[in-house]
Amino acid sequence: MTNTKTKNRNELLPGTLEMLILKTLSIEPMHGYGIAQHIQLLSAQVLTIEEGSLYPALQRMLIKGWVLAEWKISANHRRARFYKLTTAGKNQLGVQESRFSQMSGAIMRVMKTT
Amino acid sequence: MMVRDWLLRARALLSPRRAERDLNDELSFHLDRETQKLIEQGRSPEDARAMAQARFGSTTVAADECRDQRGTATVDNTIRDLTYAVRTIARAPLASFTIVATVGLGLGLVTVLFSVLNIFLFRVDHVPDINEMFAVERPRDANDEWQQFTRPQFDAMMRETSVFAGMYMELGDVDSRVDGRMMAITLLGGNAFQVLGVRAAMGRTLLASDDDRSAPQPVVVLSDKGWERRFGRDPNVVGRQIIVNGAPHEVVGVMPASFRGLNVGAPDLWAPLSSLAEFRPIHRGREDQAGIAIVGRLKPGLSAAAARAQLDAWDAQRSGATTRRDARIVLTPRRGTVPQPLEAMVLFAPLFFAFGLILMIGCANVANLLLARGVSRQREIGIRLSLGASRPRIVRQLLTESLLLALAAAAVGFVVSRVAIEGTLAAVLPTIPPDLGDISIMGFKADWRVGVFLIAGALVSTIFFALMPALHATRIDPVRTMRGELIKDAKPGRARTVLISLQVAASALLLICSAVFLRSALASATVDPGMRTADTVIVEIVNEPKRAAMIQSLASDPRIAMMAATWPDLLSLPRAAIVETPALKTTAAYKMVGPEYFAVLDIPIVRGRTFADHERAAPVVVLSETMARTLFPKSDAIGQVMQMEADPDSPTRRDDEPMLSSRSFTVVGISRDVAGFRITDTNDPGIFVPASTETPKTSVIVRVNGDPELARQHLLERLTIIDPNMGQILTMRTMARMERYFLNLAFWTTLVLGTLALTLTVSGLFSVLSYLVEQRTREIGVRMALGATSRHVTRLVLSQTAKPVGFGLFAGTGLAFALAILLIATPTAGVIGEVVHVTDPLAYAASIILIVAVCLLAAAVPAMRASRLDPMTTLRQE
Repeated sequence: MTNTKTKNRNELLPGTLEMLILKTLSIEPMHGYGIAQHIQLLSAQVLTIEEGSLYPALQRMLIKGWVLAEWKISANHRRARFYKLTTAGKNQLGVQESRFSQMSGAIMRVMKTT
Repeated sequence: MMVRDWLLRARALLSPRRAERDLNDELSFHLDRETQKLIEQGRSPEDARAMAQARFGSTTVAADECRDQRGTATVDNTIRDLTYAVRTIARAPLASFTIVATVGLGLGLVTVLFSVLNIFLFRVDHVPDINEMFAVERPRDANDEWQQFTRPQFDAMMRETSVFAGMYMELGDVDSRVDGRMMAITLLGGNAFQVLGVRAAMGRTLLASDDDRSAPQPVVVLSDKGWERRFGRDPNVVGRQIIVNGAPHEVVGVMPASFRGLNVGAPDLWAPLSSLAEFRPIHRGREDQAGIAIVGRLKPGLSAAAARAQLDAWDAQRSGATTRRDARIVLTPRRGTVPQPLEAMVLFAPLFFAFGLILMIGCANVANLLLARGVSRQREIGIRLSLGASRPRIVRQLLTESLLLALAAAAVGFVVSRVAIEGTLAAVLPTIPPDLGDISIMGFKADWRVGVFLIAGALVSTIFFALMPALHATRIDPVRTMRGELIKDAKPGRARTVLISLQVAASALLLICSAVFLRSALASATVDPGMRTADTVIVEIVNEPKRAAMIQSLASDPRIAMMAATWPDLLSLPRAAIVETPALKTTAAYKMVGPEYFAVLDIPIVRGRTFADHERAAPVVVLSETMARTLFPKSDAIGQVMQMEADPDSPTRRDDEPMLSSRSFTVVGISRDVAGFRITDTNDPGIFVPASTETPKTSVIVRVNGDPELARQHLLERLTIIDPNMGQILTMRTMARMERYFLNLAFWTTLVLGTLALTLTVSGLFSVLSYLVEQRTREIGVRMALGATSRHVTRLVLSQTAKPVGFGLFAGTGLAFALAILLIATPTAGVIGEVVHVTDPLAYAASIILIVAVCLLAAAVPAMRASRLDPMTTLRQE
């Protein structure tokens, strides 16, 4: 019951969400809502992440030390939690990017050979 | 990174409110922004809110997952589970009490055993670096007897080898009279306490200067046990004089309770080896030949194997290359525990098994109870499932609840074990026949190992009784449960059948065992030993130089009506002789007795005569009826001549035993067969050779006037004046009681266990069956409305029980029988078989009938109740 729910929610490949967050944060520190908006916008609404799953991922990355969190006042004068990439996070982004391009390249090659 | 990771977790753990607030703020910020954006796009505030929420998904789930990521979830959840568990337990106090009591009883019984085993296996003596302490031993010889070392060998080993940093001599089990009371004494070389590195709790330990025959005053050091037994923990005991075997000794010190001289049980006192001759007059003048044990402390860093190799080489060199290689040296760890832990474990295994069965039956009962509760808690569990709790989460919660109960049960178990141990000791100690000497049983005190054992036991029992019901209880469909339907497949039919079978099997096994013991105890109680036990007393004479004086004293005592010599005495194994008659050549047991022996013990001479007074060394024999038939099957035994000589290969043979006066003997009489005692193995030997009280090594058996116990006391007083070292004086009445004593002990233990198992099974079966019937009330109502009679209903309920009970009965009986066969196959079968008939059919039948009857009753009551149901009321209830 609960299990099936979790399965359907994440349509992204496993691990991709973290990579997208890291990439987004490499531009500038952002709060969770901003990250979600950014990903949706840039992917031209194709990648609609279920927003609820964003926060556990952020929490995970916080514990791994890839991002830092800080409470600041947002553009519309409300308190918001801003996330910032750390050096470890930057390295991780590099690792994930290269792994992803390897993977997508491999998938592309398979798809073209028909 | 790791540090930060833990910092975050710690912060979340220490200030959970703040972490929670952060999380809430963050999530609501997100939702607010989304809502605002949608409003800006032209939605109504309500719509916008709903859409934002939909896009976000479940806030609760997201929050939960965030908490999981934080890694504090385990702790959080446990705390929450515990609070919830406490509340649930408090809400059902009766059920909780039942569970704690049942499991606690089982755990307590197992803990009793563990407490005892703990002493033997794990209670290491408090000696610095005890792992360096080893006893130097030789392997047992062909006759299974220990070969011991002597003082010169010890001196040589000390001089010529260098594996030990220190070594000392020890001579244990020297029982002597201290101020008239038997106490256990160990003699030690003067350096022993220095080698051990232990200090006295009061006064001082033995010193090398004490171990000198020219020392001005013999000294002793008390153990904690001896201090308590003899002096009632008198704080001024140091410096006091005690009379050991008639000679004054000075108490110079008391050892702490934690030091037992590298033994499982401490002696009462330690004395220097130089006083050997006073304790064992037999060694006087031959002190160097006395067998002693050698204990040493290995040099640091030297392995036991390397030390053994060195000692072996030394031994081989010393004894010359011609000696057999199998007489080698063994190093046995001396740590104050049982040297053969495996043997002790094997010995305890059946008891652990029996006690474990009780615990298992208890757990099965509780499992049943929890299964039933699981059904009644379906609605609660259904709600929690539909609110998004995962199944593992609920299982964990249920297990936490059970574990909490099991831990409470462990505490109860501890109390039960203490009460059982102390109670048994209190009940058993006074019933031990008094003239056995002072038997002191050490207290089986509990230590941290018992605590660990109890907690481990609680964990294991939780898995036993709670896992399956928890899994069953959560296997439900929340939607249907919400509607108030009880789901049929959540009713754990098969699990319950298995449980009932297990319970019945275990009870059958236990009951059969106790029935077998019961019958054996009854049988041995009714067997007539065939000799006079009411007023006969055995007097051991161990000190040959004092023999004449002691016999004189006995003969002149007005309390003694009759006396006769006997060798070996009634407590020792009969000795074997090779016997040859015209008909056959065989080995038979024989005994040397005075002519009065038959009269003292009231053993009738059925034909011929007993020995005449002048025949105390004559070549004549008296045979028992059976022996006469065996040796002279065709003709009358009286007047026949037979050849006889002591069997040189007999395992019970001693070098100093009395010699047979001749090789050929004439049969002069035939005595009635004597059944003898069974446990103490005093079976009538069958061949009696004459002897007199002057014959060395013989004991004396006397018939006294008046109460034998009073006579025993009286004799003890008179004879210890002549020989302070004198041996035992035992009344035959005590022996006859002893005979039944151990069987009775075993019988009562099994009976209590069997009753307990039966009670648990009955209550378990009863509650399960009535519960099942209650569950089926509606179905029964329908059946009766459709025309089923109460007989049909009764049959239905009964047939439901018959299968698991039948299966369990079959399994339990089979198991008992298999165990019996196994027991018969072991080497000890000969000894056990004489006393206990392990396949006694009556015992089996009685147990089976009892269990069937009890199960029938347990099933019949709910069945009757079911058949009396009014179909209309039942149906209207729904």
